[in-house]
Amino acid sequence: MKSYLLASLTILLVCCYVGTVFAADSDAGDMEMLVFPENYKAMAVNDGGTISGVVKFEGDVPEKKALEITKDEKVCGADEKFDESLVVGEGNALKNTIVYLIDISAGKDFDKDAKVEIDQKGCKFTPHIQIVPIGARLTMLNSDKIMHNVHIFSKINKPVNKAQPKARRKMPLKAVKKAEGPVEVKCDVHGWMSAWISYVPHPYFAVTNEKGEFTLENVPAGEYKLGYWHEACGTNSKAPVAVTVEAAGTVTQDFTLKLK
Amino acid sequence: MRIRTVALLIILFGMLVVLSLTYAQNAPEASEKGKQVYENSCAHCHGVEGRGDGSAAENLLPKPRDFTRGLYKIRSTETGQLPTDQDLFDIITEGMPGSSMPPWETALSANDRWEVTAYIKTFYDGFKEAETPPKQISLSGKVANSEQSVETGKALYSELGCVECHGNIGRGDGTSAPDLTDEWGDQSWPANLTQGWNFRGGSDTEDIFKRFVGGLAGSAMPAFEGDSFPGFGLTAEESSRMIELDNKDEMTEAEEEESAQLYEKYDAAVDIALNLAEGTELSAEEKQIYDDAMKVVYEKSWHLANYVKSLMPEKRPEPAIGNNVLRSQYVQGELPEMDDAAWGTLEASYFPLVGQVVIEPRQFNPTVDAVNVKSYYSDTEVAFLFIWDDRTHTTDETDEETGKILEDALAVQFPVKVPQGPTAPKPYFLWGGRLPVYLWHWKASAPEQVTELTAKGISNAEVQEAQGELKAQGTYTEGQYKLWVKRALKTDDKKDLQLDPGVFVPIAFSAWDGANGDVDTKRVMTSWYTFVLEPVPSSKRFVYPPLIALLSVGFLFGLRAFVQRRNSEEV
Ligand code: HEC
Ligand code: HEC
Repeated sequence: MKSYLLASLTILLVCCYVGTVFAADSDAGDMEMLVFPENYKAMAVNDGGTISGVVKFEGDVPEKKALEITKDEKVCGADEKFDESLVVGEGNALKNTIVYLIDISAGKDFDKDAKVEIDQKGCKFTPHIQIVPIGARLTMLNSDKIMHNVHIFSKINKPVNKAQPKARRKMPLKAVKKAEGPVEVKCDVHGWMSAWISYVPHPYFAVTNEKGEFTLENVPAGEYKLGYWHEACGTNSKAPVAVTVEAAGTVTQDFTLKLK
Repeated sequence: MRIRTVALLIILFGMLVVLSLTYAQNAPEASEKGKQVYENSCAHCHGVEGRGDGSAAENLLPKPRDFTRGLYKIRSTETGQLPTDQDLFDIITEGMPGSSMPPWETALSANDRWEVTAYIKTFYDGFKEAETPPKQISLSGKVANSEQSVETGKALYSELGCVECHGNIGRGDGTSAPDLTDEWGDQSWPANLTQGWNFRGGSDTEDIFKRFVGGLAGSAMPAFEGDSFPGFGLTAEESSRMIELDNKDEMTEAEEEESAQLYEKYDAAVDIALNLAEGTELSAEEKQIYDDAMKVVYEKSWHLANYVKSLMPEKRPEPAIGNNVLRSQYVQGELPEMDDAAWGTLEASYFPLVGQVVIEPRQFNPTVDAVNVKSYYSDTEVAFLFIWDDRTHTTDETDEETGKILEDALAVQFPVKVPQGPTAPKPYFLWGGRLPVYLWHWKASAPEQVTELTAKGISNAEVQEAQGELKAQGTYTEGQYKLWVKRALKTDDKKDLQLDPGVFVPIAFSAWDGANGDVDTKRVMTSWYTFVLEPVPSSKRFVYPPLIALLSVGFLFGLRAFVQRRNSEEV
């Protein structure tokens, strides 16, 4: 009997220990990821409000890092390329930040006409950040007429590593079912090429432009948590900002981010 | 009528059950036994929790697989699909050549291998969650190997872009090769397609076919599945016409129209392929379009597989022992220069290299497979041609960790004095010890120069004061080094080896691949082999048979002596 108890206790302890290890692990991972609502319902939105703002960078702006072009010089090296993990514009405007609603459960549907594409042009992915609705096909364009391969480092969905031979101008990819992101897209053939995609369950995602601006439109009135993600500056998933949207109203919410 | 329908239904149902059972019963349920096998035989590499982080993992490249992601390279299944149980069982049985994953065929019973197959599946929930068996790559419609097929495959090899990573003639030296990493960020060298024996998943034409159709999940090697082929859904003529139009700077109106039509057909076929992949039922008409498209793609894929197969010898060459001992051939007068056609007519002797793992720093992950050697000699001189594959041409790169200069190099090792008789001891194979060795050291940064060294240990080598009149010439093309060296048979230097026809001389090699971090003792090497200046034909008849006998005996004694020597020197 005693040994039985002892054994149970040990097992319990081991479980607790393993549990904490797992929790710690997944925590660290989640910090880098977007947060999605469990069930999102699309509905007609009347009198929706707008959330907009500007994302700025705080701190010493590191010098732009030129990418080393190691092959296909003619196509890839026509213009100088820079690392896009941190693009800071005039007035410290921070490009390529995802700003999104964390906890929305119902709202507008996706814009079905929006093109979900990434072009491979001059051996660079454009855009650097792409939002992909779940159930939609991401189309990879190859404007370069040289070989690329599309390597998507998904962890929740199946990773993709698919060749896009030079004569393959346009290659749609199978739609995925689960929300996930951001995950990196790389081309192994040209190791410097990098982009990020997010498979999302609702359309309230924006990516900041050169001026650091973002807009989320047609948001049903209500209170929301506003999150951001930036490749080099991280997320605010732990402490998102609360915003209140009024019918047909406009809320402004700016962010200032530092390197993580 | 009703009864017949019911009976039919019952039979169908029964068939379904049997079908699903055959799938489910491939591997047994995960059991205590499987766990035990795993923990005894696999965990020190793959980690107790299957994360690829066992105690031995640190030094290995490729790293032992992390089983928690469900990424498997060697599958009979399509890209994005899990492997079948049989796939897992087979790879566990056969191991993964060119990596540290051992074959378990003899060490574990078939039963244990099935148990451990079931157990490793528990590390990834995807196996449990899968609703349908993984989709297997169809091997039907195989195209027989023929010159024509190989020729067609060759064109596809560059059209599809294999060349970018695997290089023009497949030696793994493509322009993208040095920068490839795997899913976990570790260096991932593209396979040298001329060395099928180092393929992880076998080098039969079917194996090759499955590898590029399905891709090697978790590595940089992409899948070249159906709809990634240019012109999917088009006939061969339509497909080349489409590419032709694409490449025009300007199109006439008629051409624009034609191009648009081709694209329409092609987009429709791709759409069908994606629908299928996403799980949509296809109509009969769609299925026909899809099947037709796949037929064209698969035919091309078989041509490509035939081409890749044609790049490698039928099997790994035999090492240079027994009948394959390196025999320098006698020629009268001048020895052939490096580019002389005379080299082409000689069989090479094959010296497999292994990582040096005796002395720190060690090399656990060799990238140079072997050195191939040919030799001629005349009345006064001997010439060698050393040939070895290296994916990168590295002449001076600084090692980030140690600050040392990394570069490709080769060393040829002889004893200073040929052991007199079969029982006489040879120097320790790791660059000598009490008995010194005589070395030729060549570096890629000075391709016309060979330095003579004398060494009494792997870290105890000295450049000879008197450098003899060695001639050398080295080249690097298409992922392969060729080094030509010529020396007089006899020299005045006591520290040099002196050569006589008919005498069996120990020979050994070291090679460094700078891009693989090889420097100093971190290198690949051989132990002692033998070479001989083959006596001139007239005397051959008389010298040959006794020599062979002598050699065999000598080899055995030599081996014993070597082991004793090594034991005594290591104390
Ligand atoms: C000496 C270290 C070592 C040991 C011991 C070892 N493995 Fe591996 N294993 C490896 C390495 C390294 C790889 C990855 C090779 C590669 O990716 O090319 C691997 C890969 C695998 C794979 C992946 C195959 C694929 O298709 O991608 C399986 C399955 C596997 N091992 C099973 C086992 C099992 C089961 C055992 C014990 C019976 C075992 N291994 C023991 C080193 C080891
Ligand atoms: C982006 C680079 C890349 C391209 C393009 C590429 N490969 Fe590979 N290939 C690799 C890498 C890396 C490996 C080694 C994978 C490993 O074992 O980790 C490999 C391995 C292989 C292997 C060995 C499989 C085995 O069992 O070990 C074969 C065969 C092969 N490739 C054929 C091809 C063919 C044919 C093509 C073109 C249709 C191609 N590859 C295109 C990178 C590439």
